[in-house]
Amino acid sequence: MKAGLSLIIAAVFIAAPFLTGGYELQVLMVALLYVTLTTGLNLVSGYAGQFSFAQGAFYGIGGYTTAIMGRDLGTGFWINLPAGIVVTGLFGLLLGIPALRLKGHFLAIVTIAFQTIVYLGLIQWSGFTGGQNGILVPPIGEVSLFGATLVDITGLTAHYWLTLVFAVVAVWIAWRLVHSRLGREWVAVKDDETLAGAVGLDTTRAKLTAFVASAAFAGAAGVLNAHVMRGVTPDDFTIWISCTIVAMMVVGGRGTFLGPIIGAILLTILPELTGSFAQYKLFLFGVLLVVIIIALPEGLVGRWRKIREARA
Amino acid sequence: MSALLEVTGVTKRFAGVTAVDTVDLSVGQGEIVGLIGPNGSGKSTMVNLVTGDLMADEGTIRFRGEDITAVPAWKRARLGMARSFQMIRLFRSLTVSDNLLLAKHAGMETTLGDSLLGRAAAREEEERLRVRARELLAWFELDAFADRPVGALSIGQQRMVELARGVIADPTLFVLDEPAAGLSPPNVDRLIVLIRRMRDEFGMAILLVEHDMRVVRDLCERLVVLDSGLKLAEGAPEAVTSDPRVVEAYIGTGWKRHARG
Repeated sequence: MKAGLSLIIAAVFIAAPFLTGGYELQVLMVALLYVTLTTGLNLVSGYAGQFSFAQGAFYGIGGYTTAIMGRDLGTGFWINLPAGIVVTGLFGLLLGIPALRLKGHFLAIVTIAFQTIVYLGLIQWSGFTGGQNGILVPPIGEVSLFGATLVDITGLTAHYWLTLVFAVVAVWIAWRLVHSRLGREWVAVKDDETLAGAVGLDTTRAKLTAFVASAAFAGAAGVLNAHVMRGVTPDDFTIWISCTIVAMMVVGGRGTFLGPIIGAILLTILPELTGSFAQYKLFLFGVLLVVIIIALPEGLVGRWRKIREARA
Repeated sequence: MSALLEVTGVTKRFAGVTAVDTVDLSVGQGEIVGLIGPNGSGKSTMVNLVTGDLMADEGTIRFRGEDITAVPAWKRARLGMARSFQMIRLFRSLTVSDNLLLAKHAGMETTLGDSLLGRAAAREEEERLRVRARELLAWFELDAFADRPVGALSIGQQRMVELARGVIADPTLFVLDEPAAGLSPPNVDRLIVLIRRMRDEFGMAILLVEHDMRVVRDLCERLVVLDSGLKLAEGAPEAVTSDPRVVEAYIGTGWKRHARG
């Protein structure tokens, strides 16, 4: 069932560019960006158990890193991408520091504050960030090796393929992390931090690495998004984006691997299917989040897994 | 020869209440020492001071010759100290064997980076550890449960997982905080046998906090009695349990009945 579902999802995303080139493809591309963002958030919140409402801020930091580097240094996507990941990772480390002392709601409040500070910074520091108008970013363009053009990433379809590659790589890296020794330590910290210390685990390292990894995923998505959308503005990276990512993770099932992926796809596509109701998207997400947290706290995939375990 | 664990003049206060008052305690290599006392006598505080879950206000704690008074719990664990908890503590969302593996992470030869990169050496070490975990689980008669989530086990089995988790780390000192709590009488009998075998086969010293006098009498080579945070008595179990001051401290809690068995 799990493998079957994964195959169906993969088939739809691979077939899409051959079937449509317009708005539908755009929606699927956004879904893929959210897959990367939500999978990243799931590392810190789902596996390591540290609440964060700042994924949107990291998304923005990645986007602004490539926008500013492109504008001031003239560098392109392939140089800005690692730079964006590193810069966002460092901000992730910064946000991880309060997590060493705070837990639960208190940590959540600090991440909301961080998200707000980043948003206000993007608006107020207008000499550097372009203020409310943001910064224009060129498409990725031609990729050449030794003078020969390999591929031209300018149009929607080309950007779509790259976004798909990003999502696949992100999911693969997340899989490796979660199934490594580090991933096991994250879960240990989530389950019982005192015990984690008692068996000799370095909980400081576990928490900080989770924050850095989670932020780095958002940074990569942010760099890509800036080029795909041809620019960045502060309003693309508000607390609402962070809340949307949290909703996607919770609906799908935090701490499950497939859950956040399904949540990201569902919550991107569903509002689009409701036509004019799409403008009430955030309202819809809010209601859905409350219902899920009360009735299905383990999320869709989490519930499904429970049912299966109960039968076994 | 200096003792494995040497606690000297340790004091801990909570908001003006002195929970542990200038207590000395030592545990030798491979020795089983019991720490007993009535409720509220400071046993749990003492255990947490030894393991580093609490920091002493005064006094020094030395372990394997090293001053660890200010060393945090996770580093004490890495120096060779394992512990169990009064209320069973396990990583609830993980399997039995993953619970054991986590206790061995700190002592692994390959680095976290090796594991992330999927290096052969890291994979092999992990495989060796899984085999070791299975052997130990078999030793505790738990091998059938290796891949089960710990929550699916009974209380008695969860206690055994806690013990196995301590043993896999190859500690030189295993601090057991009321291991018999919540166990049925037949399970207590099994526990006594297992703890003695743990010491005999793996060579670890054991600091045992326990209410069940049968466990204490059967296992301990030396007893330390706490009362109201002070050390009341110390010595061989027979001598200590007949000490009038100890009997006095326990009156009303059924000590005499227990002591005479």
